[in-house]
Amino acid sequence: MLRRSLLLLTFVAIVVISGDLIATVIKANNVSVEQSENALVVEGDFRFELSPRLEEALNHGVPLYFTVEFELLRPRWYWFDEKVASETRTLRLAYHTLSRQYRVSRGALYQNFPTLEEALRTLGTVRGWIVVEGDRLSPEEGYVAMLRLRLDTAQLPKPFQVSALTSSEWVLASDWVRVPFRSKASGSAIP
Amino acid sequence: MTYVLITSAALGGILLFLLAAASANTPLFAEHYPLLLALNAAISTALLALVVYQLVVLARQRRAKVFGSLLTFRLLVMFAIIAVLPGALVYTVSVQFLAKSIESWFDVRVDKALEGGVSLGRAALEAMLSDLVRKADSMALDLSGVKGPQQTKALGRLREQAGVDDALLLTPGGSVLSSASREAATLVPSMPPAKALRQARSTRSYTAIEPQGDHGMLLRVIVPVDSLSLSEETRLLQITNSVPQSLADQSESVQSVYHAYKELSLSRHGLRNIYILTLTLTLLLALFSAIALAFLLSRKLSQPLAVLAEGTQAVARGDFSRRAKVTSRDELGVLTQSFNSMTEQLDEARSTAEANHRQLEIAKGYLENLLANLSAGVLVFDSAHVLRMINHAAGNILQENLEMLLGTRPGSWTKLSEVAETLCEQFSKQLAGVWQRQIELGDRVIVLRGSALPATTGGGDVVVFDDITQLIAAQRATAWSEVARRLAHEIKNPLTPIQLSAERLQAKLASRLTGEDALALHRSTQTIVAQVNAMKNMVDDFREYARTPSPALEPLNINDLLGEVLALYEQSDLVVRAQFETGLPAVLGDRNQLRQVVHNLLQNSLDALAGIPAPHIEVSTSFVAGPAGGQVRLMISDNGTGFPEAIIQRVFEPYVTTKNKGTGLGLAIVKKIVDEHHGNITIANRPDHGGERGATVSISLPLP
Repeated sequence: MLRRSLLLLTFVAIVVISGDLIATVIKANNVSVEQSENALVVEGDFRFELSPRLEEALNHGVPLYFTVEFELLRPRWYWFDEKVASETRTLRLAYHTLSRQYRVSRGALYQNFPTLEEALRTLGTVRGWIVVEGDRLSPEEGYVAMLRLRLDTAQLPKPFQVSALTSSEWVLASDWVRVPFRSKASGSAIP
Repeated sequence: MTYVLITSAALGGILLFLLAAASANTPLFAEHYPLLLALNAAISTALLALVVYQLVVLARQRRAKVFGSLLTFRLLVMFAIIAVLPGALVYTVSVQFLAKSIESWFDVRVDKALEGGVSLGRAALEAMLSDLVRKADSMALDLSGVKGPQQTKALGRLREQAGVDDALLLTPGGSVLSSASREAATLVPSMPPAKALRQARSTRSYTAIEPQGDHGMLLRVIVPVDSLSLSEETRLLQITNSVPQSLADQSESVQSVYHAYKELSLSRHGLRNIYILTLTLTLLLALFSAIALAFLLSRKLSQPLAVLAEGTQAVARGDFSRRAKVTSRDELGVLTQSFNSMTEQLDEARSTAEANHRQLEIAKGYLENLLANLSAGVLVFDSAHVLRMINHAAGNILQENLEMLLGTRPGSWTKLSEVAETLCEQFSKQLAGVWQRQIELGDRVIVLRGSALPATTGGGDVVVFDDITQLIAAQRATAWSEVARRLAHEIKNPLTPIQLSAERLQAKLASRLTGEDALALHRSTQTIVAQVNAMKNMVDDFREYARTPSPALEPLNINDLLGEVLALYEQSDLVVRAQFETGLPAVLGDRNQLRQVVHNLLQNSLDALAGIPAPHIEVSTSFVAGPAGGQVRLMISDNGTGFPEAIIQRVFEPYVTTKNKGTGLGLAIVKKIVDEHHGNITIANRPDHGGERGATVSISLPLP
């Protein structure tokens, strides 16, 4: 009897946890990887909305941190893929109550927006991100570039972190977008 | 088990401390908070698993009815209650208190005040903004007529009049026509964003409060400057003014407090969850540790009982060697010690009983041995007169296999009917004392003595019997010798006077008588004398039989003795065949008496051979190996008339004879002599073959 109820409990817990992890509301469009002469440039658009709970928190002055993550893998048939490079970029979204402006900032740079939609559109737009210096790529070889955007719950205030552990409203992330590509021949070969 | 428990509890304690530290705002653990939570939960689960495992083990023991498991279970339940009840109480109160106290932090009035503060700030900014809009409108009106190179001058003047920081005149496309600034250093004023221009063109007005960097705010207003002529395009006027630093700082600080308060207010659920989670984990860790510990303690308490139970079971199996180990000095230890001493006493008692039993067995064996070697027969009956016990001699005497009669009553016996009848008769009399009966079984006489066993030993009867045939024969022989002695004496006394008187008559009257008288006298006296002599001989014989002296035993060779006697019987018409085994050992015997034995036997044979054609006598000796060094056997057989069947059983008794003359004492004397030599004599008729009959006498004499 006891054993059966324990089993049931475990099962329920698994279902709940996995259901939470599934939540993905960020859609990625137009992700592209361009290899210019000496750099690898990533571009992409992430379109999403905030859940009511997140929006409420934002409008009450809680800053939200988003992370754009990039990984470059070299597939290996005999072993796990080799991670050639990984880059992250952190974006901060905050609301200024006095001026009713949304501010997206990256490092010291910032931009103000009167509406959340505009702020989110700017936040989700990745343009000309130089992720890897060109000479780190071997010429004529297959790579997979992976890109995603997610809400960094670890930078939330701690009580929200606890909520984020159990509630899907606090989880916001896109799937990894995989872009396989072939590196160009070495730069010297280009006239 | 103990180590698992201690490790888990210690680990749980450390993790709890870390968790509590992380719940407070320590940055070191902040980022590992979920990991800490998970670890704590894992430890709790491990402890729960331990408790469940212990419970399962206990349940299995209960089902297997292991001694002490019920006590363990009860103690466990009691310990668990002691641990759970206060824990649950403290937990409930804490959770209630926590919820209440966290809720009490948030107050509608504070909320309103902060909100009001923020609104106040915003209203001030709005007021400044609308003031700016008014100034912009009047400036736009003033500027509407101004064109070309006068613009810059007019703009500078108007800016000065309005008292704003910066003024900028733009084309609809956003190109700067002219600008004026309060501080000459900032030659390039803040450019409006494209959206603002678009909005200003479409809605004829754009106003914004723009936060600048970390602190400071900028008020921006864009209005169109209408032209007087239609041909001219509409210009745009932007004026910007920075919010006074003190106002900006104060409203910013109000805003940050408002934000902090709102954040707290929003996160109060999460906060409460953190504390409740920490509390719950603490409770679970403490509870499971306590229960697991309770399990160990109750196990330890009930352990001595299990040891005792094991000892008890061993004793029940009859194993007294087991000693329960005394582990504690409390009452249980005392109990264990008492149990041990009890076991010891039991062991001693049992060994004593065993010794007694063994002695009884020995006594019984001795008794049985005695019974078996008793020459008399013994029959034991129980109170229902069923035969229970016999001895070996009983079967020998009755010449029957009595084993088959064990467990039966005499009434149902199919054989030994005389014995059975006697026993039934005696049993039916219910005599308490001793009875004695004499019965004849064929030629044997048996005397039965019975006595009832005392009722205290279960009742029943014991019957002892013996074959007294030999005894009676001996008694008869003794009686005969006594009779013979007296008779001989009484008869012989008058014979001499009779003879003397007859001779005197002869002597006195012979001369006086003549003729026939003298002859008659002579004949009569002769007859008297002859008969008296005959009677004297007879009496002598008789006395001889009665007074045969004890033999003077000496070693002698039987062959030599036979040779001497046989020499006297060498007659022409009698064939005596002698077959002597050479090298016979000497026997102990009286030479004269043995010679008489042979004489008597040969005489008997001669008498039996009278009138038999081709008479012959066979005399043979031989050595017969036997238990006591063997015997020498002497056999004399003839082909005479043999013994009549009627008297062959009694030929050794005096005066039993088939002959017309003779005293009938010959064989009686032979028998007596042989008996005194401790020998054995048998007489049998030879089997009748071819009309030839005869008798065989066989004498066995023991060696010295």
